[in-house]
Amino acid sequence: MEVSWLHLLPLLPLLGAVTCGLVGKWLPKGWLYAVALLAVLLSFMVGLRAFFGLDETTQLFHQTAFHWFSAGSLRVDMGFTFDRLSGALTLVVTGVGFLIHVYSVGYIDEDPAYWRYFAYLNLFIAAMLTLILGDNLVAMFVGWEGVGLCSYLLIGFWFTDEQKAYAGRKAFVVNRIGDAGFLIGIFILFTQIGSVAFSQINATVVPLSVASLATLCLFIGATGKSAQIPLYIWLPDAMAGPTPVSALIHAATMVTAGVYMVARLSPLYVMAPGILAVVASVGALTALVSALIATSQNDIKKVLAYSTVSQLGYMFIGVGVGAFFAGTQHLITHAFFKACLFLCAGAVMHGLHGEQDMVRMGGLRKYMPSTRTTFLIATVAITGILPFSGFFSKDEILAQALHTKAFSFLTLTPRGNVHLTWLGPLIYLIGSFSAFLTSFYMWRCYFLTFSGEYRGPEDVHPHESPAVMTVPLWILSGLAVIGLVLALPPSWVHGSFLERWSWEHFTEGVFARPRGGAPEEFSALPGFAIALLVGWAGWACSYALFFKRGLAGDALLSEKLRGVRVALANKLYVDEFYGRAVVRPLWALAHGAWRVIDATIIDGLFVNGIPALVAWVGAMARRFQNGDVQRYAAVTALGVAALLYVFLVRGG
Amino acid sequence: MDFFHAHQAQHYLVLAALLFALGAAGVVLRRNAIIVLMSIELMLNAVNLTFLAFSRFPLVPNSPMGTFLSGHAAVFFVIATAAAEAAVGLAIVLAVFRTRISVNVDEFDTLKL
Repeated sequence: MEVSWLHLLPLLPLLGAVTCGLVGKWLPKGWLYAVALLAVLLSFMVGLRAFFGLDETTQLFHQTAFHWFSAGSLRVDMGFTFDRLSGALTLVVTGVGFLIHVYSVGYIDEDPAYWRYFAYLNLFIAAMLTLILGDNLVAMFVGWEGVGLCSYLLIGFWFTDEQKAYAGRKAFVVNRIGDAGFLIGIFILFTQIGSVAFSQINATVVPLSVASLATLCLFIGATGKSAQIPLYIWLPDAMAGPTPVSALIHAATMVTAGVYMVARLSPLYVMAPGILAVVASVGALTALVSALIATSQNDIKKVLAYSTVSQLGYMFIGVGVGAFFAGTQHLITHAFFKACLFLCAGAVMHGLHGEQDMVRMGGLRKYMPSTRTTFLIATVAITGILPFSGFFSKDEILAQALHTKAFSFLTLTPRGNVHLTWLGPLIYLIGSFSAFLTSFYMWRCYFLTFSGEYRGPEDVHPHESPAVMTVPLWILSGLAVIGLVLALPPSWVHGSFLERWSWEHFTEGVFARPRGGAPEEFSALPGFAIALLVGWAGWACSYALFFKRGLAGDALLSEKLRGVRVALANKLYVDEFYGRAVVRPLWALAHGAWRVIDATIIDGLFVNGIPALVAWVGAMARRFQNGDVQRYAAVTALGVAALLYVFLVRGG
Repeated sequence: MDFFHAHQAQHYLVLAALLFALGAAGVVLRRNAIIVLMSIELMLNAVNLTFLAFSRFPLVPNSPMGTFLSGHAAVFFVIATAAAEAAVGLAIVLAVFRTRISVNVDEFDTLKL
């Protein structure tokens, strides 16, 4: 249905951003907070109104806001589509975004640049909504770059700290590599399909080669934005930004953009089963590697960052095995509990005057009861222990991976049939082991932070955060609990009032089915049993080591697995490897190019060379002006004689 | 036609050219300002000779300007101007001589600033 008010969704936060950015410095603090919060809240209201307007007859709202540009046969409109997928994500972005705005009021209040912070935050919401609602790839790319910009600005929010500014640059540059792939994907789709609109792309059947190449390029973009191997390295460093930003941008919303993009283009992706296999494998590998690294980090935010990378890996497993609903469902539940975890970490840091090292925490349950309880709820949710949301959404992904038929595609390759039937179960195994690790490192994080005795310095007195920060925590942890409604298996809720809230049921018809067909009916219970076992095993290991022994457990683990622990604590030396293999050669190339092209040719030949030539000619010419009238006369006479010779003798 | 027996403009023109060249050489090469002024007179008179030659042997026989008087008129103008120029030139030389105690043009090089 065509409507005329969808543009309000991104426009309201954009207006808020403009107001905060331009005049925020001179507004009274309360007014500024009111503007920033209201902009997001109103956007949320519009989203709610639209969301409840969707029903059987109205599958989506669409608006073409304006014609943006045309070039040849390319026509790009700024259009918005609000369907069940983008609508739900809009609510997540504005809803969680609003809670984080509220929390930020308490968190950033004492920073002199609070107005800049809220301008960026509002701008981020606007860009993210453009990304989600955009009805074509170019509009999505605008949002894609917009959120990247806000991410950069907010990571480097305290830009006077060299290291934080560097982290922002790193995020920007790494994302740029992915964005190049994204752009090439758009170009391929435009040349092959002749349109950049999702409706057109998703309705066109393209050859396998085109689909594979385009989806692969787009997926490279997704690995950048959603922090997957090989481009995940920026996300842990992105923790240099303020913690609410980590919660909003680098956990709940922006980093899931890649998953959303794959889900949005599901009809295209199912045409390229080989790339689906790549997506799922990359997701599984990322989930495993980052979960391993997370077990050995001591910085509470780094643990959560690697945990985010790992959970994003799960989402890519979900979309990669053709279960797009499972991937996006985990996206939503993850947004709730991971935002909650990050905000709790922020509250802990707030109460400990910026302390991030878990070695100097411990025993905080006495000082921060609200933070502790909400962190506990979110931890239960993420570790996949009954009955909270993470359990169902994660297990859905793993079950779909085990039973997937997405890789059993027929007659698509010249050399006959390809059956990658072993890949699904392999991914299931990797995913389950990662789930064990997830449980292990999250409980480690919980035990080291909240259990035992306080290990920090004497002069730091831990205290609970103000209500403006704890209330969002409670709401988010509540969402992390009731998020399970989304993820309940449809067979359980069949016929009851919960059925229409089941994500799988809710998004029926939004996503394409994989070529090999949907998995056959399977019973969810064995998978649940294994998942429970895995989750509790992780808890048990963690409990034995860290609850019983505290830090000594960590030391014990390091003693038993010395080499592995050191390698993991150093993030498997991936940064160093990239530094040697990519950054240094590029640096050398850039240095060489600077020396040759810039310093020698441009500066030497053009910038300095031309003035030097003019100066030389001037120096030569100035010898003629010596004030001797007779020499002037002689030169004039010679010149006249030469002219006469030329015109009279030779010309005549 | 034999060059030396033709009563045409060539003889006068060649003579004028020689005189002009002598004058120009004097202007460029001599160091004494008085001699330089005199050399200028020589060049002017070479020009006068050319005027008169073309007046006597006009290139265009029936010129609307009249047959030969325009050349003579130009010569009178040149003589008048040359007299004025010589007066001014000598006055300048005199003035310079009073400050520099010299009429050597090599020393007059303040024109370059």
